[in-house]
Amino acid sequence: MNEDDRGIGKYVYCIIKSNGEKKSFGNIGFEGGEVYTLEYRDFCPVVSDVPVKEYEVCEKDVELQKKVIEHIMKDNSVLPMAYGMVFKNKKLLMIAMSAGYRAMKKAFIEIDNRVELGIKVLLPKDTACMDGIDKCKSEYMGSLKKLAVQTKDLKLFSNRLIVNASFLVEKNMIDIFSNEVNILESKYPDLKVQYSGPWPPYNFVDIHILSKNRGGFR
Amino acid sequence: MFILDDLLLREFGLCIPGLDIIWTLEQIRDFALKELYNPEKVQNQIKENRMLFEFGEISKEEYERKNDDLLQKLKLARRSVEMNISVRTDILGAR
Repeated sequence: MNEDDRGIGKYVYCIIKSNGEKKSFGNIGFEGGEVYTLEYRDFCPVVSDVPVKEYEVCEKDVELQKKVIEHIMKDNSVLPMAYGMVFKNKKLLMIAMSAGYRAMKKAFIEIDNRVELGIKVLLPKDTACMDGIDKCKSEYMGSLKKLAVQTKDLKLFSNRLIVNASFLVEKNMIDIFSNEVNILESKYPDLKVQYSGPWPPYNFVDIHILSKNRGGFR
Repeated sequence: MFILDDLLLREFGLCIPGLDIIWTLEQIRDFALKELYNPEKVQNQIKENRMLFEFGEISKEEYERKNDDLLQKLKLARRSVEMNISVRTDILGAR
C-alpha cells in the first residue's frame, strides 16, 4: 500500500532555494515527523508526511509550524506557507509548485537575505490619551522606515495600540535597526514597546495558487 | 398612540422608516446584535488579550481563561453571521 492509499500526504511548511541535494531538518514536524526537502527546479518545498485532514487552527499547532519555519530560516531564506497546507501526494504538490513557480521566483527576489521585524507600541495602562502621540508615531515610523526595504502598517486592534507595523530588513541591517529601536524606546520611556523577530517574511509574501477561494496555496 | 398607529399601519403592510417607532426599535436591536456578534471585533479582542499577556500585563491563567471565552464568542459570532441573525422576515410583509 503506498502513502496515498494510506491517506498520508505532504504538509508544506515553507519553500527554500535548492542547492541540489535533499536536506533533512530532523523529526520536528507534526506528530514528530521528519521535516525534509523535496525538489522542484531551483526550489525546495520543505515538508513532512502527515495524515490528510483539515488542520484546524489551534495555538499549539500554529506554534509548531512557526517553530519549524524559524528553525529552517536560521540557514536559509524562506517563503513561508500559510497554516494547514496539506497536499494529498507529491504529484499534486509538484503541480502547485509548477503553477506558482513564477510568483515564487518573483517573491524570492524580494525576500532573499531579508527578515521581518515587528514593532508594537502601546500606551500605558489607564491612559486615555497622551500628549504628542502623533509626533511619537511619526517618529517611530519615520526613522524605522528609513532602515527597511519595505514596511507594512498592520491593524491597530486595540485602543491602546498606537504603532503596529512590520518591516522587511536586510539581514546585515538587523543590529542597526535594533539600535534605532533602543534609541526610540529611551526617548519615550512611558510607552511600552514590543520589538520582535527576526521572523520569516509572513507579511511580505502573498501568493495564492490553486485555491478554491484564492486564500491559500493548496 | 404612536405604537398603536404603527401597529395598525403594519397590519396593512405599511411602515414609514424614521417615523415608525417599531422600525426605530428594530434598527437599535440590529445595531446591538451586530455589535455583540461582530466576528472582527471579537478577533480584535483575542489579539488584544494575547498582546496584554505578551506585555506581561495579565497572567497566563487570566490570558487562557479569557482566550477560551473569546474563542467561544467568536464561534457564536461566526455562526450568527452565517445564520444572518439580525435579518428577520416579517410574514405580514412589513419589515
